[in-house]
Parts: sequence; C-alpha cells; structure tokens
Amino acid sequence: MTVTIIALAAFGAVIVLMAAYGYRISAKTAEDYMLGGRTIGVVVMFFFVLFAISSAWTFYGFPGLLYTQGPGYVMFIWGSVAGFAGLYMFLGPRLWALAKINRFLSPVEVLSERYESKALRLILSLSILAFIVPYVGIQPLGVGAGFEALTGLPAAWGAIYTAIILIVLVLLGGMRIVAWVNIFLGVVYMTALLGSLIWVVARLFPDGGLVQAVDIIRERTPALLSAPGPNGQYTSIVLGGAFVVGLLAFSWPHVAIGCMTARDKSLFKWFPLLIFIFGGLFFYILPFLWGSVVAPAALPIEQLTQEAAANGVPLQMEADRVVQTVISRTLPSWFGVYVLLGVIAAAVSTAAVQLMTSSVIVSRDVIQGLFKPQASDQQITTWARWSVVVIVLLSMVVSFFNSGAMALYLTDVSVPGFAQWAPALVGALLWKRATRQGAIAGTVAGVVYLVLSLLIVVDGNRILVVGNPVIVSLLVNTIVFIVVSKLTPRPSEAIEMQFYDEVDEYLKAETGR
Amino acid sequence: MREMTRHWAGRIYLLSLLLSIIAFIVFLVVGGAGVGADGNPIVLFGWMTMPLVGGVVFVLFWLITYIIYFFFFWPYR
Repeated sequence: MTVTIIALAAFGAVIVLMAAYGYRISAKTAEDYMLGGRTIGVVVMFFFVLFAISSAWTFYGFPGLLYTQGPGYVMFIWGSVAGFAGLYMFLGPRLWALAKINRFLSPVEVLSERYESKALRLILSLSILAFIVPYVGIQPLGVGAGFEALTGLPAAWGAIYTAIILIVLVLLGGMRIVAWVNIFLGVVYMTALLGSLIWVVARLFPDGGLVQAVDIIRERTPALLSAPGPNGQYTSIVLGGAFVVGLLAFSWPHVAIGCMTARDKSLFKWFPLLIFIFGGLFFYILPFLWGSVVAPAALPIEQLTQEAAANGVPLQMEADRVVQTVISRTLPSWFGVYVLLGVIAAAVSTAAVQLMTSSVIVSRDVIQGLFKPQASDQQITTWARWSVVVIVLLSMVVSFFNSGAMALYLTDVSVPGFAQWAPALVGALLWKRATRQGAIAGTVAGVVYLVLSLLIVVDGNRILVVGNPVIVSLLVNTIVFIVVSKLTPRPSEAIEMQFYDEVDEYLKAETGR
Repeated sequence: MREMTRHWAGRIYLLSLLLSIIAFIVFLVVGGAGVGADGNPIVLFGWMTMPLVGGVVFVLFWLITYIIYFFFFWPYR
C-alpha cells in the first residue's frame, strides 16, 4: 500500500511540475493557452492526438467488450484509424489554414463565421458540450475501477485523485503543456500496456505464447475467436455499423481542434504515416490481444461471471477491469502499481484534451461569442481556466449515474453525438454551396433524432435505432443539411473568397516549413 | 480534399480509398470475420483471428496508397 501511495504521489508531482513549468513559460495569451501558440510539431502532435484518443477505454472498455463478446468490436478500431487519418489528410490542412489566417481559436468559431450565424454557434457549442462532458467523467471513474481492483480501496479515491491531476494540468498548463504531458503519459501508458502483455504471456503461456493462449480458447470457448461471438451479437450488420461508426472519428471535436494547433502544413503530410504504422499496426493491436486472446485464456469467462455475481456487479462491469485483474493476479504487485499509473496516464491524456476543448468552447464560443464580444484576451483565458473546474465536477456527477458498459457508452452515445456536427464541418470546409439554414436545420434534426432514438425504448428495444444510434441520425442530419442548403440562397462572395479562395492560395504559397 | 478532386492522381486516390471501404464492408457482410467452411474459427499463424487479419490488410492498403499519393502527387507536398 505504501509503495502504491508513493508511486501515485510521485506520478502526480511530475504532472503538476510540468503544468507549473508550462504556466511559467506561457505567453499568457488566449492563443497560447487554447492552441499552444499554434506551434505543435509532428512528433508532439502524434503523441498528443494518439493518447488523446487512447483513453482508459483502451485498457478497460475495449478489452472488456472483446472478452465477453468476441473480437467483432475491433471493427470500430479499424474504422477509427481511417477516420483519424482522414481528418488530417482531407480536412486538416484547410481547417488549420483557415484558423491561422483568421486567428480563429475554436472549431465552432470557424463554423459560426463560415455560416455567419450566432445561433449555430450556440447550437454546436451546446451539443458538443452535452456529449463530451459525460465522456470526460468516464475517465476518472475508469481509473477508480482499476484503483479498486488493485488496492481494494473505494473507487472514489482513484477518481478524485485523477480529477485533481486533471484540473491542475489543464488549469495551469493549457494546450501546449497538455500536448507535452501527453508524451510523458503516452510513454508510461504504452510501456505498461506492452510490458504487461509480454510479461503475462511469458508467465502464463510459456509453451507457445499467443498460439498457446488461442489453443486454450479454441478448446474452451471457440466462439470467442470469430464473429458473431459467443452471444451472437456481432452480426454482419453490427460489424459494418461498428466500422462506419469508427470512420466518424474524424468528427471528434477534441481531435479536430488538434489540427488548429499545428505549426505548419508539413504536419498534415507526415501525420497519417504515424497513425497508420504506429497506431493501426501496433498500438491498437495491444489491447485487442489483451481482450480477445490473453485475458479469456488466462481467466475463463465462467470464473469471472461467478466473481461478478459474488461482487454484486454485472458481468460487463467486472469484464471492464479484466486486464487489471489478470495483471494483479499474475505479476508482482509493484508492476500492478505501474500498470495503474499507465491507466491513469491514459485517462488523464484523453480527459485533459477533452477538457481543454470544452473550456475553449465555453469561453470563446459561449461566453465571448454570445455575451461578451469585447472581452480581452486575459478575460477569455480566465474564463476558460475556471470552466475547467466546473466541467470536471459536472462530468463526474453525470458519469457517476451512468452505469452502462464503458465501451458501449463511447460508441452508442459519445460518437453519435460528436458526429452531429460532421455535416456542418465538412460542408463548411469543402462545399461552397453549404448555407447557414442548412447547417442549423441539419444539426438540429440530427441531434433531436439522436436524443429521441436513445430515449424511446419499447419492450427493451430502441425502436428508432438501426444498427447504431449514429446511422439514422447522421443520415437525417446530412439529408436535411443538403436539401435545405440547396433550397436557400448561396453564401455571399465574400464568404467564398475568405473560406475557399484565400485558403487555396495560402496552402499553395505556404512553404511547409 | 478539394485539391485532390482537381487532378487525376487525387481522384484515383479518393476512389481507391472509397473502394477499400466498400470492399471491407463486403468482407464483413459475406462473413469474412466469421467461422470457416468447417465451422471452426480461422486463425492465421496460430494467433491472428480474421477480424484482426482483415483490419491489418485494410490499414496496410490505406498506408500504401497514402504514401504513394502524399509523397509523390499531393499538390501541397
């Protein structure tokens, strides 16, 4: 226990010191606090984004669902890899150039200026905040589950510890330090994930490693090695749906804002290389192997079902921490502590970026954009900082009352919610004919449909959902957006000039260095 | 993306990616991630299940096409 407390204190101290250093060297401007002064290079950006999207979910929710339902859910990952790369290949250069030329500080601001609409600014801000805030809270609560599995202490302690680190980091450091700290957090997380995998495989499956583990599963529960899985959940339609939902990763607001922090356009040429090789072909395969091969071979699902019943929790909740459980029963206790630090790193790295994005939207788009247009740089930075505390507290309260499986909350609620600004975003950057009325009508229609589809349940079924909540809601959103845009007057020539012609010229002229 | 639609290499690149997405969905719909003809799971090299193999092939395709286009044809390179 003493070792755990010392390790947690030292880990927290490193992050707090980095945040304090970041505060000392920062330029104290809104641009510096919110976008890291637009100076993030490709390597920092890669760690920044990779670990912004690799949360406690990667260690808990994702392997937890593979453990109970078989490997089908990995389709979400393959779609996500393409989605993240697509953001940087297709939309990133224009979003970055637009923001840099016009000194925009938030992606919502880009859209509100493109569509010349304060109403849209409010609608987008509220809808993004509504779906991102609960996801922020999942991170500390996810850590709490691992904390409890490792130490036996109440999960709330782990959640409070993580929340405090988060608040200090974002409040003091701003976007640049969040990006830098993500490198430190990423190294801790990756070594914990990879190290634990190698060590557990060597210890439990000495006669063949992963091949031996697969042989054990093949004898015990072969349905865990293919779709649709042991419960028949991952049918062809669901697999395709999970893949499509993954493709929508380009619309995650906390990832999209990363494009605006880039130092120059060469980043957009190199970034996908790292996402494909390091992300798709290496990093995401680690939790896949954990959840679909190593954990089921190490700990039979029948045994975990009994333990869940004994603990009085649903099987999926117990499965969400199966990786931590296997590690704590197989490896020395000191390594279990290191793994917990890795999970905290994963949680903090994601939640910090989500918090930054939320605080930028609250400060720049809601408070300044709608109520205090003459606010100074210092004022909007102060509002952004203090909104961090409110968002963390609010998010934890919301998440505390959500007892669903972690993996499904991401794909069934957060991602469909994030996706509702996608048509307006893509239209703003790529389609000259997109209009304010189309963007407002499409976004409202999509969000309303999504909320209704999540709320209306008949005989235990969400009757408005087909495959995944995002599919019909996004379709409705897109159709309404296109039809209404076509039926309303096209944007002014000044908007076309500012948002398309100038950007094209800038991207051609910019040297990339 | 607007710049990609203005030249042949870009159009071919976009079409390739679109076709790869359709092909991957078809792979899933026809049961590529399911069991083999004998009713047993297909496992490559003794540990790679088909959902993993399919995804790796998909990512490799995107990687190769991206390298060719972005390093030799992208107008803003």
